[in-house]
Amino acid sequence: MQRIKISPVTRISGFMEIDAMIDKNTIIDAKTEGLLFRGFEKMLEGRSPFDAVYFTQRICGICSTAHSIASTLALENAMGIIPSQQGRYLRDIIHGCEFLQNHIRHFYQYTAPDFIRLPEGNTLFETDHNDFRLPKQKNDLIVQHYFDSLKYSRNAHEMLAILGGKAPHNHGVFIGGITTQATPEKIKQLCFLLNNIRDFICKKMIPDAYTIAGYYKEYFKIGRGYGNLLSYGCFNGYEKLGTLFVNPSAYSDGKIMKLDPTEITENIYSSWYVANSDTYTPYQTIAEPSMKKDDAYSWVKAPRYRELPYEVGPLARMWLSGDYRNGISTMDRTLARVLEAKKIADIMFTLLSNLIPGVSVQKEYKAPQNAQGAGLIDTTRGALGHWIKIEDSVISLYQIITPSAWNLSTRSEDNLPGPGEKALIGTIIKDYDNPVEIGRTIRSFDPCISCATHVYSNGNLIKTMQVVP
Amino acid sequence: MNQVNSNCPNFNTRLETTSVLVNKVIDGVKQKRIKKRNLIWLELTGCSGNIISLLDGANPDFKSLATQMVNFIYDNSLMVSEGEAAMEKLFSVIDDDYILAVEGAVSTKDNGLYNVIGRCRGQPVTAYEAIKKFGEKAAHVIAVGTCASDGGISAARPNPAQCVGIQNLLDRKVIKLPGCPCHPDWFMGTLAYIMLFGEPELDNRQRPVMFYSTLIHDICPRRKYFDKGIFASKLGEKTCMFKLGCRGPVTRVDCPVRKWNEGVNWPIGDDSPCIGCAMFGFPDKMEPFISYNTT
Repeated sequence: MQRIKISPVTRISGFMEIDAMIDKNTIIDAKTEGLLFRGFEKMLEGRSPFDAVYFTQRICGICSTAHSIASTLALENAMGIIPSQQGRYLRDIIHGCEFLQNHIRHFYQYTAPDFIRLPEGNTLFETDHNDFRLPKQKNDLIVQHYFDSLKYSRNAHEMLAILGGKAPHNHGVFIGGITTQATPEKIKQLCFLLNNIRDFICKKMIPDAYTIAGYYKEYFKIGRGYGNLLSYGCFNGYEKLGTLFVNPSAYSDGKIMKLDPTEITENIYSSWYVANSDTYTPYQTIAEPSMKKDDAYSWVKAPRYRELPYEVGPLARMWLSGDYRNGISTMDRTLARVLEAKKIADIMFTLLSNLIPGVSVQKEYKAPQNAQGAGLIDTTRGALGHWIKIEDSVISLYQIITPSAWNLSTRSEDNLPGPGEKALIGTIIKDYDNPVEIGRTIRSFDPCISCATHVYSNGNLIKTMQVVP
Repeated sequence: MNQVNSNCPNFNTRLETTSVLVNKVIDGVKQKRIKKRNLIWLELTGCSGNIISLLDGANPDFKSLATQMVNFIYDNSLMVSEGEAAMEKLFSVIDDDYILAVEGAVSTKDNGLYNVIGRCRGQPVTAYEAIKKFGEKAAHVIAVGTCASDGGISAARPNPAQCVGIQNLLDRKVIKLPGCPCHPDWFMGTLAYIMLFGEPELDNRQRPVMFYSTLIHDICPRRKYFDKGIFASKLGEKTCMFKLGCRGPVTRVDCPVRKWNEGVNWPIGDDSPCIGCAMFGFPDKMEPFISYNTT
């Protein structure tokens, strides 16, 4: 029996430790640990409801727009506001910019270094494993694209700033749509940048992903997880355009079903929190941090749908929309992400061509005395939910369930591993000293939590890799 | 968008400051007049938005920084090594010359266990330990963004993780680059200045004067509306947003000139007020960000 701990798992947003137990080269148990706590939900209590849009973005620097959108939706829901279609188009274009920025960065800066050798002589690019299989010429082409890609993800943020003031942490997304208006000049500039980004995705990123997939074929059989997939929907339900991407839905046991948001719960059995009950619905309670819990191992909680763990993210969306049905695995997650980038770029062209310049979507809003609302939306990494309660015109409860909480959730009383943990279990580790398989699979979920991942097993510590006992 | 804020040639010079400084460093390194310095970038209790913002830098870009300016030793978001091997790279420069850039505040609750940044020789390393260890020995310490500078949103009330800015834990000079996030030019320009000339001139809040000397309100393109008393009553209007809660009148930084994301826009260009993200006391002292009480 071997125990491996990896901390930090780099090339993710935040901190994670993986603790895995290995028997006869196979991972028999794994825990994903998130080791950062900030407590945004507590911080939001007593603040102005409008401020949540700007405040919650600061949860994350790589997907800050996601939070501005979910909090805006929660406010609109609480205030009974239905934004105009122009307002939705503008906001969804901003949302699309974040998808592009994120997917390009995730594929090149976070994923590719697991499979290609970056230039020598730079500490940042040094690695310890040796499982690089691409012929030099193909490897070097992707290295070139690694650096080229910086421009295109930067351009996606530039697009975001045209409508949203700045990125990260935009100012544009707000109740009713966005704060500013489209102009012919802005639309032209957005189309120009989008065209270049789409070109890069089609001509470089997608072929590069397939090149990598061709040399690492076993990753189509690694990292399946449960095969339960879930989406809150996005780019959907427009009055005139209908659904351009995916409606709220879930997939389990080979069947796709409509999503029922009342079946979403959160559990803290294995997390460093206490509450009246270990399982609760989003409006019920905000758990209090407490590191004095024997069985807890993470700051990440355990969201469940109909009491089961579900995977969220690009593969879930592309599967549910019918755009990608090759399989559910580490490599399928990566391919679904790059293919989704193209899909999003195409959707953005549709939205841009439906914009009417000079339409203001802002009004003078008044915070309600008492209200509650939910904002459920699929963002880059998957299903993101914000739930707000307003009392005396200030926030009295704010609940956030992030996509990475779904994917890297801990165990509840039933001891079912989270989707990320489940995806690791059963993986064969070829070289104990360099368990490269673990990072590859965990990164395919594009984790966005400050967490730490231990690769670990129940008992007999014989040898630890990368970490001392 | 892209409107010229002023005809004053000083503005153009300012915009060029960062690229001029960085290119001087790159030339100097090429000609071996300037030594490539080691750079450590620690992400602590925050959102990693500052390293993402750094990747948005264009003139020059991240590639120039990482390959031509410095030996980029450690960053959690970008480095290829992971686990103990990554931490060994971090610890390998502790007795060497290095510049330390830090984003995120430091969580002090439960001996720092609210933020573990990795493991070294089997033992968890907290952000608290890391800042003490690497902050004391660094040649220069740069607090990148509002959280590292003053606690920022990570220390927002009731501050559940008991976060503080890094200066609170270090008995030494810290250069502060507040902003949520930090603009890539502010960091690149400061780093280049250090490599060329040493520490830049700082104001009484330890911010480089070259980026933080101007009050947003003084150079705001909507200042004329303020002076005439024409105020917006909702977002999206083109007039002065003072009564919507704009924090331009108290925030010192060069956003109106520099703007964001290759200079395409900034919050006021998007018809929304400045929320004072680069200001000491953000967020608690800058709230409410949006107010419709315009009387």
